[in-house]
Amino acid sequence: MISKSPRTPTILVCILGILTLAVLIRDFWPFLQNGTLVQAAFTPDETDFTQILFHYSTLPRLSMAFLCGAGLALAGAAIQTVLRNPLASPTTLGVGAGVEFALTAFLLMAPASMALFQEAFALAGGLVAIGAVYLIAAKRGNATLWLILAGMIVNLLLQAGSQILLLFNEQYLQSVFMWGAGDLAQNGWESAQFVLPRVLIGMAAILLLSRPLDLLALGDETASSLGARVTALRLLILGFAVFITASVISAAGMIGFVGLAVPAALRIAGLTRSRDLMICSVFTGGFALLVIDFIVRQFNGLGGDTLPTGAATALFGAPFIILILRKARIMPGSQSEEHHSDQQIISKTRLSIILCATLTIGLVFSLFVSFDGNDLVLLGPSDARLDILLGRAERTFAAMICGAALAVSGTLIQRVGRNPLASPEITGVSSATALAMIVALAIFGFGQRAELMMIGAAGGIASLFLLLFLCRKFTHAPHYMLLNGLALTAILGAIVRIVLTRSGTQTTMLMSWLAGTTYFTNMDEVMIVAGVTGVLLTVAIALRRPLELASLGTDQSVSLGLGISAFQFFMMLLAAVLAASATLLVGPLSFVGLMAPHLARVAGYRLAGEHLLGALLIGVNVMMVAEWLARNLLYPQQLPTGLIAAVIGTSYFLILSIRRPR
Amino acid sequence: MKLFFACLAVFTTLTLNGQIAAQAEPIAIEHERGTLTLDQPARRVAVTNWAFTETLIELGLDPVAIADPEDYRDWVEKPDLPESFVDIGQRGSPNMEALRTAKPDLILISQELDMAYESLSKIAPVMVLSVYDDHKSAFDAAADMLRKVARATGRETEGEAYLAHVDEKLAEYGIRIRNALGPGQEITVASFYSESNIGVFGSPSLPGSVLKRMGVPMAYDGPVSKWGFAQGGLEILAPLAKSTLVYTNPVPDVIHQKVWSSPIWNVMDFVRNKRVYELPVVWAYGGVPSGLRFALLLTESLEAGPVK
Repeated sequence: MISKSPRTPTILVCILGILTLAVLIRDFWPFLQNGTLVQAAFTPDETDFTQILFHYSTLPRLSMAFLCGAGLALAGAAIQTVLRNPLASPTTLGVGAGVEFALTAFLLMAPASMALFQEAFALAGGLVAIGAVYLIAAKRGNATLWLILAGMIVNLLLQAGSQILLLFNEQYLQSVFMWGAGDLAQNGWESAQFVLPRVLIGMAAILLLSRPLDLLALGDETASSLGARVTALRLLILGFAVFITASVISAAGMIGFVGLAVPAALRIAGLTRSRDLMICSVFTGGFALLVIDFIVRQFNGLGGDTLPTGAATALFGAPFIILILRKARIMPGSQSEEHHSDQQIISKTRLSIILCATLTIGLVFSLFVSFDGNDLVLLGPSDARLDILLGRAERTFAAMICGAALAVSGTLIQRVGRNPLASPEITGVSSATALAMIVALAIFGFGQRAELMMIGAAGGIASLFLLLFLCRKFTHAPHYMLLNGLALTAILGAIVRIVLTRSGTQTTMLMSWLAGTTYFTNMDEVMIVAGVTGVLLTVAIALRRPLELASLGTDQSVSLGLGISAFQFFMMLLAAVLAASATLLVGPLSFVGLMAPHLARVAGYRLAGEHLLGALLIGVNVMMVAEWLARNLLYPQQLPTGLIAAVIGTSYFLILSIRRPR
Repeated sequence: MKLFFACLAVFTTLTLNGQIAAQAEPIAIEHERGTLTLDQPARRVAVTNWAFTETLIELGLDPVAIADPEDYRDWVEKPDLPESFVDIGQRGSPNMEALRTAKPDLILISQELDMAYESLSKIAPVMVLSVYDDHKSAFDAAADMLRKVARATGRETEGEAYLAHVDEKLAEYGIRIRNALGPGQEITVASFYSESNIGVFGSPSLPGSVLKRMGVPMAYDGPVSKWGFAQGGLEILAPLAKSTLVYTNPVPDVIHQKVWSSPIWNVMDFVRNKRVYELPVVWAYGGVPSGLRFALLLTESLEAGPVK
């Protein structure tokens, strides 16, 4: 079969095979030299520690690396074929994050008597996640893109959720966090014995079903006309792919990007038949992870720390995605479709009035009412009354200003990128800002927030430049920007994980800040960000005419004689500065930059100027509510504001997709 | 009224010390954010991590606000928390409003909360004291922290007495531990974070620096992270297999079972020759009281015999 396929994939498998052989020889060398390899591999001498280590640590680790790589790559190939989406994978569709969240919750909360159900729980987590992604993306045009974006939203939300669980269980941080970062270290054959049958069952099932998969690949109409029960088959295959993913992640933690990069690369190399693709994926994935794990092992023990394989794999895999993107054949779809098909949920004037009213009432409520665990408490007169009000105002304003900055930033990105789903979170600008600050704080020891703010802004702008460089033609294909953003976010996420596993003292603070907290803000910062937002908003509103033209599309604008590229570039720069300022106050993910402009447009704020203001009103309201909930929901414990906002944001997209008529 | 009690307290302390001359002097203490000047010793102290919590309680002053009290009972255990105090939420982000209701006159934080220094300063004077910082000996840093807290609360006498008591006890435990260990034996202190992620405490850590103070030889002498330990798989214990292994608790049942059934674990010299000991719950990132408790529990554990 493989011989019929193009040559490139075969060469790829061969190269990785040779590398694998090299790794094996390197690991086996001491035993080859003294001729004890067979003994060490099968019946190790119980008194010789090197043999024991080889038999119970090195060999299982090699096997696990191969099994996990093969399983994930196969799962990715199956998901990609079923969904006819070259960028779908266990990690991009939220399955990994779902399993991770379920397992983290299980490890931290479930009593020991429930241990038997761990696997079912993990599987359920994965299925729920992919279900949610499917629900958000279903019934939309350009499903390829929506699916990936929905996956990204669910992914970010679940990762934030896992982090919250850890924040409240700090003592277990070491164990769960390390596992979450994907550790392949082994102490025996247990994990391999756990994974082997499951991956084999999943593989056999998927390979058996791979013949009908080729029909699926032709498209729904063709497949149904050929009599295959399309939906049932799809679900079955997806189910097995999730099963493999859940098993692998249960045993080895999050291992990113093998499931995405391997099948996607093979497909681009010319493998189109699903059976060939899958068989090739098994070997390529297995060999690739084995080789990557070998490289990672060489860095273990530096500075008394270990390097988690999973996070490192994302570092290897994500740049690869950017390369793949240049060759991927993604149906461009029509961007304008969203503009026409959105139904109006509520009238524009009514919404404006409601928003202003909630803003006023909400503000007074936020300042004067709190929840002390039992009852709502009205702030009574006391000596400290003014100070308490000031403290609350500081945090409420910080959240609101962030809402405003992110909403404006998101509107600009969505308008200029002509994509209703672009946002600072999704293009990676927020993550880059966060990463720059985390590295500055945890590694270089910058402690001043003003310094961090500058560094963060520099990081955000740098990432934007990188993004623009990668998508020089982004005006023609805005979705490339998003997909590059996805890869960028993944790389940054991986670096953040690695930094966090190593940063000891400040991990908790960093994590709560990553999830988005207004806890550490002060009035000066709020004022600075408010000033920046105000100025940039004024600039954006003053430029609403060209902005309007820019969102119409390049062709029209060029024919109207507008220097579009320079203008777009300037607008994106504004957006990046705004996102960076907001990120400092409330962390890298809140989805306000995604949700507010989207909701504003759905509500009928169509022209650039009113779109900006409408989004701003919505953003401010959402963050205000999120902030109050964050401070009071679990009093005296405090939740990160960004997480609450993210929950509101994702629920919005879920509700929207359910309401949407066919 | 408050002032009266404060004066009375100052007077009592000073009479005890016999240093009447210093009466009018305000207390000035160096900390990581400069010098803190208190007109009178602090009485209502808020603590944002467990090292402060236990240190203050041992000094005989009950904190008025405590972070993460529930987890303290599971992970630190002793000394017991006072009857009443204000729960101020997580150690990573103590609740400002809850903190305010406790009406503290001094707030103790470590560098992890440095960014909240300004906001906290609006509630009460803040002292920034870190025990775990860049490879300095945790026990010495903890003793230093204790002295500063004692000065700030006007309990220098109690503080010095407590430290003297600790020194005396550590010397005694040191002898008992060396006797229990036998000649030439070294100790390795480890934590099982998971079956494949083990932390080994190095000399800057609290267990490490306490062992050093007791004159008990420690086997691990490699690189460590900021918190004073090294991480790795079970194989990290291989070079230390000739030593006596002591592991900290709590270890989740699942992890315990997985480690004990691992062939790599079972081939280690300390497992084969029954030199594995278990410590009851003790906070390895605490202050002097946790250090003393570690020494006591280690002595008892070694004298009680290895785990089966």
